[in-house]
Amino acid sequence: MRSIWVVARNTISQAMRLKVALLVIMMLVILLPLMGLDVTGDGTLKGKLQTFAYNALMLMSIMLCLFTIVISTYSLTNELKNKQLFLVITKPICRFQIICGKLLGVIVLDIFMLAMFAGVIYCLMMFMPYFFKANEIDKLKANNEFFSARTIREVPVDMDMIKEAVNKRYELRQKAGDLPTDMTKQQIMQEFFNQELNKDKAVLPGGRKKWVFNNVKPVNRKDEYIFIRYKYGVEVTPPDEMIMGAWAIGDDRKADEYGLQQSETPVYPVIRKDAVNKVREIPVPAGAVAADGYLALEFVNPYENGTTVMPQEVQVLYRSGTFAANYCRAALIIFARLIFLAALGVSLSTWLSFPVAVLVCMVAFVTGMMNGFIMESFDTLGAGAGFIYSLTFKPLLWLLPRFDGQYNPTNNIVGAEVIPWLLVGKTYAFMVAVKSAILTLLGIWFFSNREIAKIIV
Amino acid sequence: MSKDNQYAIETLSLTKIFPDWWGRAKVIAVEDLDMRIKPNEVYGLLGPNGSGKTTTLKMMLSLLHPTRGKALILGGSSSDTRISERVGYLPEESYLYKYLSARETLEFYGQIFGLPRSVRKARIESLLEMVGLSGMSNRPIGTFSKGMARRIGLAQALINDPDVLILDEPTSGMDPIGTRQMKDLIIRLAKRGKTILLCSHLLADVEDVCDRIGILYGGKMRVEGTVSSLLRNKDEHQIITDRISDGALEKIKDVLKQENLRCEITSPMDRLEDFFVRTVAEAQQQKATTSGVVNTGKIGQFLSEEDTQEDLLDKLVSAPVTPEIKKPKTMGNAETESVKAENIETESVKKELLEDLIKKPIESADTEIVANAKPVETVDQQQEKSRQDLLKDLMGGGDASTDRTEQSEDA
Repeated sequence: MRSIWVVARNTISQAMRLKVALLVIMMLVILLPLMGLDVTGDGTLKGKLQTFAYNALMLMSIMLCLFTIVISTYSLTNELKNKQLFLVITKPICRFQIICGKLLGVIVLDIFMLAMFAGVIYCLMMFMPYFFKANEIDKLKANNEFFSARTIREVPVDMDMIKEAVNKRYELRQKAGDLPTDMTKQQIMQEFFNQELNKDKAVLPGGRKKWVFNNVKPVNRKDEYIFIRYKYGVEVTPPDEMIMGAWAIGDDRKADEYGLQQSETPVYPVIRKDAVNKVREIPVPAGAVAADGYLALEFVNPYENGTTVMPQEVQVLYRSGTFAANYCRAALIIFARLIFLAALGVSLSTWLSFPVAVLVCMVAFVTGMMNGFIMESFDTLGAGAGFIYSLTFKPLLWLLPRFDGQYNPTNNIVGAEVIPWLLVGKTYAFMVAVKSAILTLLGIWFFSNREIAKIIV
Repeated sequence: MSKDNQYAIETLSLTKIFPDWWGRAKVIAVEDLDMRIKPNEVYGLLGPNGSGKTTTLKMMLSLLHPTRGKALILGGSSSDTRISERVGYLPEESYLYKYLSARETLEFYGQIFGLPRSVRKARIESLLEMVGLSGMSNRPIGTFSKGMARRIGLAQALINDPDVLILDEPTSGMDPIGTRQMKDLIIRLAKRGKTILLCSHLLADVEDVCDRIGILYGGKMRVEGTVSSLLRNKDEHQIITDRISDGALEKIKDVLKQENLRCEITSPMDRLEDFFVRTVAEAQQQKATTSGVVNTGKIGQFLSEEDTQEDLLDKLVSAPVTPEIKKPKTMGNAETESVKAENIETESVKKELLEDLIKKPIESADTEIVANAKPVETVDQQQEKSRQDLLKDLMGGGDASTDRTEQSEDA
């Protein structure tokens, strides 16, 4: 461990003298406060905070990823090129210790940089309400919908029911000899599936649809708000692109036949017009949730809409943690990303030259940022190659990182959505304990077996 | 080194073939090299550029994998940390971190060796003083001249007080004083029982310090042997004496003429190296300012320390551990058969002057070369046994001191 730490400290000294380190620090130090001052968003404090948080976290994440890629690939390749490693290797130090030391150095540097810039962003976010002189309503909204960590509950679609309906429909049409002749069975089934899915969501004019949520546990049922998030899809878009919706939110188990409240908790009626295909949130007092965590939502599509409405992504959000803790979890996920890139960089630098190693790391980074699309495409394309593909290319693809979707904590912070510890654990288990460890071991194996002073004539 | 390891450095049919990009054998850098260096030997590996010297060293140090054969240091591979912690290496160029200062560099390597903080600190101070860079210890190495960086390179090679020292072109880029110090150091370390392998193009340097040399050409060992056996010219004699009168000279010429022998009479010239050292030392005495190296002429204390335990044992068993056979040096580098008492006196006056100028102890080795006879071979077995027994009693079992005694016994 002593030797590893000695190499790590030297790697840090080396990295801090690089211009790229200075550039990253300068950019972040200058750009972050400027972004905080210049941000406009939708004009509200919450909008400004969301815009700033998104831009600042994305910028920090990308800059630190690039910094990590450069430092991790440069350190070893430079020492090999300038032969400083000749001296180090002849000393009583194992080669795996050199690799571990390099990795540790980059990781320690990342901890320092991440802590510094995440801290700067956090402080800027905390000062923004004072700086913009927001009114109390704005502050309350920002407090509830930004400076919070909200758990999301969603009612899953009953897929078994949909499948059953699809099969029944297919059989009926088959018996009737009414199946389209220009489509394969798979295509027909897919079409039926989509139709049934939309049918499940659809609320005809004058119709209603109910969602029941269990285990909704807001931290404080008395003084807080819960949020109903949804988006309207429509069969025919109205001329003003607005949809009227009537919602009843609360514990409806003891409501009478007229829908009037009979239970201890109130049922909140909400009638409002919202734009089509835009995500909206309705704040409702947390008292709407029953003591046992039960909450029902009912949507009524008034006749005046004149079209079928499909409420999508209907979710209940409620505060279940603090913003600071959530922000720390977000930083931890970004840190896992940096560890992965550091392991990839150090591993590649054991057998590739600096420019090639940087290029490969950049490809991996961009691939990781692109919503898994590239990996899925490769998977689809490679599936034809069958056995050979699954043994060769596929494991390599699996090693590629995933920085998008749920592994991108920026969206959680912007939406004040809680990042569960489970996700943090999963990220570290797969991205650090498995993928990064495999990359590091590959690097160690290669470095231990390579000729340090190799010459190709 | 275990008892059955007779050699400090050994290569067995060592071969290195460099391939081209396609993996085809392209250049045979070293071919079937069998080289054996005994403990406490100073061995010079000579050869023109591209003869395979550095490649051989790199294979010894596990920087290159041999295509065939083996390279052993202290009976094992240098990739073994137990071996590498006893080896010092000075590469042909000082591959140091430019952003670290001289002190940080030594600190870095000292930490890798796992030296305790107090030992590390003492050694760093001692080494910085030895290489004349105490005043510049906080300057980044990137600002150093080649010679200064070389001195730090030497210091890092010595920080672990190695048993085996591998020096690749040790005097390259050094000024004459540094060169002289390097040679003195090599001799001094050899006297302390270290094994030294050095590669150099500067044949005079090798000749001055090496017990044995080998000449490589085309990756093969062409000649190997002791310096004296390889260089001695048995068909000629050289007589060195005090200034003599013209009459006496004529008489000598006549005698030689009668014997039909060739005779050349010249006055010996001072060596340029000695002259340079004297001039710089005078400047230093006058405290002339410089931003460069300030030679102290000192050898790192931990490198020149005698093993007090062994000294005590030696006294107790009344046996000299390292009897030195002095080999006076002549100007023409020929071997002198006999030296008069007056000559020794003159030589010692010169020596004293030089010692005084470069401020080092009188026993400095610039005029003494330990002969090829290995000191330990002269130790009587019984006396050695007594020393061993006494050492065991004192140490209460095997330790580093015991190992060292075993090492000597192996030799």
